Amino acid sequence: MAIIDDVRSIIAKSLNIPVEQLTPDKRLDELGAESLDVIEIVFALEEKYDIAIPLQGSDASRVSASGKSEDKSEGQDKSGSSELPFATVGDVAEMVEKLVAAKASK
Amino acid sequence: MNRVVITGIGVVTPIGSTRDTFWSALVEARSGIGPITIIPTERLNTRIAAQVLDFKPTDHFDPKREGLLDRFAQFAVVAARSALRDSQLELTEEIALDAATIIGNSTGGMNTLDDSFLKLYSQNGTRAHPLSIPRLMSNAACSAISMDLGLKGPTYTIASACSSGTHAIGQAFQMVRTGQSPIALTGGTEACLTVGTFKGWEALRVLSSDTCRPFSRTRSGLVLGEGAAMFVLEERDHAIARGAPIYAEMLGFGMSADAGDITAIDPSGAARAMRAALKDGKVNPDDIDYVNAHGTGTALNDKGETVALRHAFGDTADHLAVSSSKGVLGHSLGAAGAVELAATALALHHQIIPPTANFQEADPDCDLDYVPNTARNAPIKNAMSSSFAFGGLNAVLVLGRV
Repeated sequence: MAIIDDVRSIIAKSLNIPVEQLTPDKRLDELGAESLDVIEIVFALEEKYDIAIPLQGSDASRVSASGKSEDKSEGQDKSGSSELPFATVGDVAEMVEKLVAAKASK
Repeated sequence: MNRVVITGIGVVTPIGSTRDTFWSALVEARSGIGPITIIPTERLNTRIAAQVLDFKPTDHFDPKREGLLDRFAQFAVVAARSALRDSQLELTEEIALDAATIIGNSTGGMNTLDDSFLKLYSQNGTRAHPLSIPRLMSNAACSAISMDLGLKGPTYTIASACSSGTHAIGQAFQMVRTGQSPIALTGGTEACLTVGTFKGWEALRVLSSDTCRPFSRTRSGLVLGEGAAMFVLEERDHAIARGAPIYAEMLGFGMSADAGDITAIDPSGAARAMRAALKDGKVNPDDIDYVNAHGTGTALNDKGETVALRHAFGDTADHLAVSSSKGVLGHSLGAAGAVELAATALALHHQIIPPTANFQEADPDCDLDYVPNTARNAPIKNAMSSSFAFGGLNAVLVLGRV
């Protein structure tokens, strides 16, 4: 099974969304992922591939729907803030692929 | 309704276990956060915590009694003894029979649990220590205080994660206010710095790797801590009649539940608890001078708490002095509300606002006066102390100058 398929099925399970809808371009925040969902998804991928994904809770809240809605309520534009670790389903898969490759090359 | 005052304060904390050492470290922003030394660290990613390093059980308990008590109950008893001594109250049988003991802790005897499970699951142990259950039960601390001091009235434990201490003190306040108990011994305790606890918090990805920097743009998460703070609450006329030391008056208690996210703060829920505490104490928002914030140092809490303060205080929020004690004390979970109420009561008593330690630079998302790094002499008429717990449980106390 390709990594992207694992990523899609893990996210589908966590967010209770049909896997067919999880195309690589879909953003986690737009899918309604809360910060705890992001942390659970990352944990499931770490367990599956035995990798360590560098992610702080603050990052988790920034890529999640809760972080997004709070920003809206305060009328602040965060688009110019520093880079997110990932935003879309495809980004997550790409990150995992890199970490798995780095582990294999060790 | 009786008026209720604080006549005794006792603490066991990473920055000292006397009222004076605790207060001077808070005012000087001397942090109790340091390298983890009380447990093995080889399986941890976390390197820092706010530990009570100078606590020797044998200084306080004979060997037989020490064996009965987990660390969290030992902290509780030592702090309770200090509080009662501090109050100079002579505990007559008449008072003792109705005295309440209401204690908050979010877990129970986690050190006992961790040790026991390690032997059973990992070292092929076949039996647990016969005192495992009495040591680890959640009510072990309140029961130990009741037995140690001979307090025989309503006695129980309140568990609401990081709001436990505040909920417990609020409950005890109600009991003295209504006349159900003439005095209450109340507070919070926690000693759950175990490998299992750290791994659980590491998985939540909210622990800081450098230190706790509440409200600072550079904040990197919370730092786990431990400790206890206990209080003697007493009916005001009774305290005045016996010439007791009075630190502050208990004015209002407010609570709310977010009924929403399990970990993230909901500013509207937190603000509702603040408003409820103000209303209960008949205190106007502009009569509050100081707020001892929950201020954990996580991205979400500090931003959400700032929004909550603006909701609850409106335009007067800009005149508030807000500080978090967690840069100095770490986050002692079920004890935090109690330890921070001690900070709040002493702020009123000394008329000094303790600072937010480890503050580096302002965050546009946190735009209040956080009293960065340096204590401030300022008249404080009334003060507020807030706790917001996982599970969406909020508890807020309002105190007044005496």
